[in-house]
Amino acid sequence: MKTKINSLVSLNVNPCKMCMPMGASTAFYGISKCMTILHGSQGCATYIRRHMATHYNEPVDIASSSLTEQGTVYGGEKNLKIGLTNLISLYNPEVIGIMTTCLAETIGEDISGIIERFREENPQYKDITLIPVASPGYGGTQYEGYMAALNAIVGKLDMNTEKNDKVNVVLPPHSPADIRFIKSAFVQFGIDAIFLTDISSNLDGGYDPNYSRLPRGGTAIGDIRKMAGAKLTIEITDDTTTQSPAKTLFGKYGVPYRQILSPMGLKATDAFYRLLSEVSGVTIPEGLMEERGRYLDGMIDSHKYNSAGRAVIFGEPEFVISAVRVCSENGIMPVVVATGSVFPSLKDYVGQAVEDLGVRYFVDGYAIMDDADFKEIEEAAARYGANLMIGNSDGRRIEVNLKIPLVRRAFPIHDRVGGQRLRMLGYEGTQTFLDEITNALLKVTETTFREEIYDEYYKGSGIDKNKKMVEDKYISDDMVKKTMEHPCYNCAGHKYARIHLPVAPSCNVQCNYCVRKFDCPNESRPGVTSSILTPEEALERYKTVKAKLPNLTVVGIAGPGDSLAENYPQVKRTIELIREYDRDVTFCLSTNGLMLPFYANELADLGVTHITVTMSAVDPKISGKIYKYVSYMGGIYEGDAAGAIMISNQMSGLRMLLAAGVICKVNIVTLKGINEHHIPEVVQTCKDMGVYITNIMQMVPVKGSAFENLPMVSNLEIGKLRTECGTIMKQMLHCRQCRADAIGTLDNDISVDLAGFAPEEKGNKDKGKKHMLFAVASKSGINVDLHFGHARELYIYEYTDGDVRFLEKRDVEKYCSGNAYCSEQDDKIAKMLNALSDCNGVIAMRIGESPKHKLEDKGIFSWSTFDKIENAIMNAAKQV
Amino acid sequence: MNERDLLLEKYSSRVFKNRKSHITQLEMSDEQDTITANTRAIPGIATARGCCYAGCKGVVVGPMKDAVTITHGPIGCAFYSWGTRRNKAKTEEGGKNFIPYSFCTDMRPTDIVFGGEKKLEEGIDEIMAIFNPKCIFICSTCPIGLIGDDVQAVAREVEKKYGIKAIGFSCEGYKGVSQSSGHHIANNGLMKQVIGTGDKKPMGKYSLNILGEYNIGGDGWEEERILKKIGYEIVSVFTGDGSYETMKNAHLADLNLVMCHRSINYVAQMMKTKYGIDWLKVNFIGIGATCKTLRMIAEYFQDTELIAKTEEVIAQELEAISDDMEYYRSMLKGKTAGIFTGGSRSHHYQSLLRDLGIETIIAGYEFAHRDDYEGRDIISEIKPDADSKNIEEIAVSRDEELYKERYSGEKLEELKEKGIEIDTYDGMFPDMKKGYMVVDDYNMFETDELIQTMKPDIFFSGIKDKYSIQKQGVVSRQLHSYDYSGPYAGFNGAVIFGRDVTMSIYTKAWVLTTPPWKTAALLGGRIGGEN
Repeated sequence: MKTKINSLVSLNVNPCKMCMPMGASTAFYGISKCMTILHGSQGCATYIRRHMATHYNEPVDIASSSLTEQGTVYGGEKNLKIGLTNLISLYNPEVIGIMTTCLAETIGEDISGIIERFREENPQYKDITLIPVASPGYGGTQYEGYMAALNAIVGKLDMNTEKNDKVNVVLPPHSPADIRFIKSAFVQFGIDAIFLTDISSNLDGGYDPNYSRLPRGGTAIGDIRKMAGAKLTIEITDDTTTQSPAKTLFGKYGVPYRQILSPMGLKATDAFYRLLSEVSGVTIPEGLMEERGRYLDGMIDSHKYNSAGRAVIFGEPEFVISAVRVCSENGIMPVVVATGSVFPSLKDYVGQAVEDLGVRYFVDGYAIMDDADFKEIEEAAARYGANLMIGNSDGRRIEVNLKIPLVRRAFPIHDRVGGQRLRMLGYEGTQTFLDEITNALLKVTETTFREEIYDEYYKGSGIDKNKKMVEDKYISDDMVKKTMEHPCYNCAGHKYARIHLPVAPSCNVQCNYCVRKFDCPNESRPGVTSSILTPEEALERYKTVKAKLPNLTVVGIAGPGDSLAENYPQVKRTIELIREYDRDVTFCLSTNGLMLPFYANELADLGVTHITVTMSAVDPKISGKIYKYVSYMGGIYEGDAAGAIMISNQMSGLRMLLAAGVICKVNIVTLKGINEHHIPEVVQTCKDMGVYITNIMQMVPVKGSAFENLPMVSNLEIGKLRTECGTIMKQMLHCRQCRADAIGTLDNDISVDLAGFAPEEKGNKDKGKKHMLFAVASKSGINVDLHFGHARELYIYEYTDGDVRFLEKRDVEKYCSGNAYCSEQDDKIAKMLNALSDCNGVIAMRIGESPKHKLEDKGIFSWSTFDKIENAIMNAAKQV
Repeated sequence: MNERDLLLEKYSSRVFKNRKSHITQLEMSDEQDTITANTRAIPGIATARGCCYAGCKGVVVGPMKDAVTITHGPIGCAFYSWGTRRNKAKTEEGGKNFIPYSFCTDMRPTDIVFGGEKKLEEGIDEIMAIFNPKCIFICSTCPIGLIGDDVQAVAREVEKKYGIKAIGFSCEGYKGVSQSSGHHIANNGLMKQVIGTGDKKPMGKYSLNILGEYNIGGDGWEEERILKKIGYEIVSVFTGDGSYETMKNAHLADLNLVMCHRSINYVAQMMKTKYGIDWLKVNFIGIGATCKTLRMIAEYFQDTELIAKTEEVIAQELEAISDDMEYYRSMLKGKTAGIFTGGSRSHHYQSLLRDLGIETIIAGYEFAHRDDYEGRDIISEIKPDADSKNIEEIAVSRDEELYKERYSGEKLEELKEKGIEIDTYDGMFPDMKKGYMVVDDYNMFETDELIQTMKPDIFFSGIKDKYSIQKQGVVSRQLHSYDYSGPYAGFNGAVIFGRDVTMSIYTKAWVLTTPPWKTAALLGGRIGGEN
């Protein structure tokens, strides 16, 4: 089900909302001969004009009372009055919308009072209608500002209560083209309607040789006054919780009302026309029934493509709710439904529809979020495997980052022209919208399906009689040669040597079976290395080793952390440097797969031809047990959430690699009692994706890791598993689980022999040794991220001439040397001091003044920092 | 009645009184031309100006890519200033780039009532845990100063807690009279807390800072390309594609080049006082201007080899573009233009337009000061008013350790004699001719009126004006965003600009939309492209 999203809580990162004055300005643009003035700093007007003009491609003039520092002290009444006078003399409007801003509201301006006094002082302007709206930027989003303005218009105007035969129509902020559609529908049924408000021409005007500075389209103020005497209000809205002008009209003037959904999608459009027919007594015309038939036919035509859609729908609640309706009706599964507004009832509106689709498609991972920013939306889109986005153009950054097509609708559209003409309403409008959605999906399919089908059904599959040949055809000759000469991908590659370059020390997940430790020459297993190389040093090592071992064909990067974690730039640089030096070398790389979707295509472009992903499970529950935690896009995830992220990224990354022609190997670590029965399923999944080979490995128990006491799987058991899975796909039977700095053939790791021979190590021997011990307070074991006083255990690192090595973890409790030293008060500090007596320094995220002095008394320096442990130690060592 | 009087006549007496000194038609009287600038905009007139926050966050500090800029306030300002200027930035190898992000404390009514400092502090803790930048800027919006949040204090705490650089800017929207106050506040912050804190000496023989280049549409990259071809090292760029990491070392450069005088002259001045670095007002917009700029820089260093290399590069570059430029000039010669921009481009682009045979007959600035129009000599005559007094003037003094006199005073005079414009700027007026119109703090009404009386063939402005100009049947190109084109600077940029302007004027759409005053005013000329 839904997973809790840990994201930034105090900051909004990449806002998915604007502020109230924006929406209020839009609403006033639907009134004829109306100008608006924002009471506040002039920047508000400028920003809003800029954003509206870009979207609508129309002139947008909004005045400002241009409050300065003086105005904030003495009040802005004078400025607003002058502003009104000037606005009137320059534009000669009949109506002026006066909106407040953050500034006006914070200094507590009494707008109604100012307007009253302005009217008294300027009787000559008595025919001009002034409408105040309280719209502080912090009060809500543009949608709430839009609704606040509509409510202010009907609530504050002097209305004409004389009964008439008109119908009020309250409109949500749709595009001008869609508003035109609604207007024409009312005309079609012969209903005399008053639209609140009609932006269809002022924000999508034609070219007219007689350009008028004052917007002349829209609803006349006289008509708006008549709304009080109308026979009915039809409020078109998908969100019945926000303030409702229809209810205001009913409350004040007794005008009955009907609320109806935006006519988007088949059922809502049916209901819309039924209501028009009911109100007018006119039968629904034949032409409309034909339109309906065409839409229904269109739905059928595209349903098979739509069912593959996994959509992210974002924007204002009004838009999101109606877009979910269209998706639901067309079998597109919304996996992320998000609004930037604070709108907790979003789930009530869309939850059922999304859940129903989920049941139908066996999709149980999705998110419905309000008060969301784009960072959260992006994370959710990646997590739930979205392949489509629907919303405004601010989704374009996610479109680029995650390569998910964005169907642009709603406000604002800033990177395309014609935002004002986009259609979504009615049978035809929905059809246009739906076609765009389907085509966005088809565009991706059309450019990838041949490879996908090939991979799925032919590449390396059992039904393929001439497997070898097919493989060779699919994989280029060069690739075949490289694979044959790669010791880890082919048994026959035994005689070829590989070098693993330890350039990537940092890691972004903590596997329960791993403790990343430096230098343990007797130990040979993944994650172990003697030292970390810079890209330049790595090149030097490669050159030297290549000279000694002409059969060196493969350069591998296997950590010792994760190749795609924070050190990726160094990994990239290493590959580039070596590629420059030796064009023929084969690059391979291993990763936990977490960041793979981000770098897969880049890796392929860099010429990395072989990639190993360690994926020991394809079930989030099982995967979740393997990782202590996963650090991803700023969040720390544990349990099922960690498992789900890992699997989703591992699989999508693998798919991207395979699509780019990279040969992939999947390592599966067998963990007794955790995944041993699940392994055939993992292998089957790999086979289905088109992975070249899988490697089922034993877990090597490591002291200090969470799984240190987990029993090892016996060789016999591994053998059985490999045989069983061998019927599914090709298995690697010759893995030696090498070190991150292994050199040589698989059978003969000569890296330890080469120690001191590699050039970058030579120099160090001659220098005088600088040797120190540091105690580090860390929660994660990766970063210095713990307050000294909160540490229960300390990580002890040894520093020798620029080399940082992890020594051990010390449990503070164990160092308590009896009650004499550990009185109640000093208890902890004293224990700590005992634990650290042999250290030169202490590094913690923060450290109190008292322990700091006590440490100093013992000759131990302390540093406060938030950094990676290795960096922190390097810096500290420099300062000693 | 001249065009200026025709325009002013339409104003009420009160507005007339204010606006008359902001609108100057050049050389129409015997008196020296002057203009009033940097005073309050008239409420309700729909000024094109933005606010202090826009100048600080949007213009100066926002483009610094390795710094996290947090908007402290309600969400709107963070949204509106998110990716709206086209200040391009490329991520450095292994470096961080926060340009695609907008960070905001998203204050709600309760935060306005109870204060937002706590939220800001917690937000910064999150930023540090997740993004771990080396530098954080906090930019305040309107409510902040009023509710008493102390962003400087928060910044100091952040520096103490995390050992990074953090600067709080009190750039509330209402401060000053335009974006200009925000530039000044940003300049002060960078001068006080960033410039001079690094110690990475430039390696090259001659090193430069480019000040006031925001890399709109990649302009800065074209400038760097040319300068590097000649052999200069660029220490830092303020601030397009700029970074905290490089700006720290700006004081170690040999010379400052100033592109946008308005937004960055404070830094240039203060660096001269504190570190002894001379500055040249340069212009890379236009071929003639670029050549003049390059020659002036080479002359400044008094190195014959450098001068020869400069000439060689100029010759190569001109050779490569001369055919294209000749063609565009043949298409555009004799046309007239209007330019309304922020505080520098209306001057810069006159050179490029002149290269193409176009005369700029209307020019105006949103937020310039008198020196941008009349030259720096006027500065001593400008009296501070209530608004400018509210913006802090920081006093810098000579840094005894780092101050390095580049040339003696005598030598400087000698170089100035030779025409090297050191530490000076003559403004826009001298480059414009009799009868041309200069407008300060222009608005939509004046734009419309001047289009009708002065009848320019093309108008360069921004998105707010663009559609109104086009509705009047006049070609409009945006000089704030370049209509998503660019670069326009340097040699290659000139060709791109020539192409864009020619494309615009000769697009078929204009055949069908003859402006009303073109048919009514008996001029009878057909606009370009008409058959």
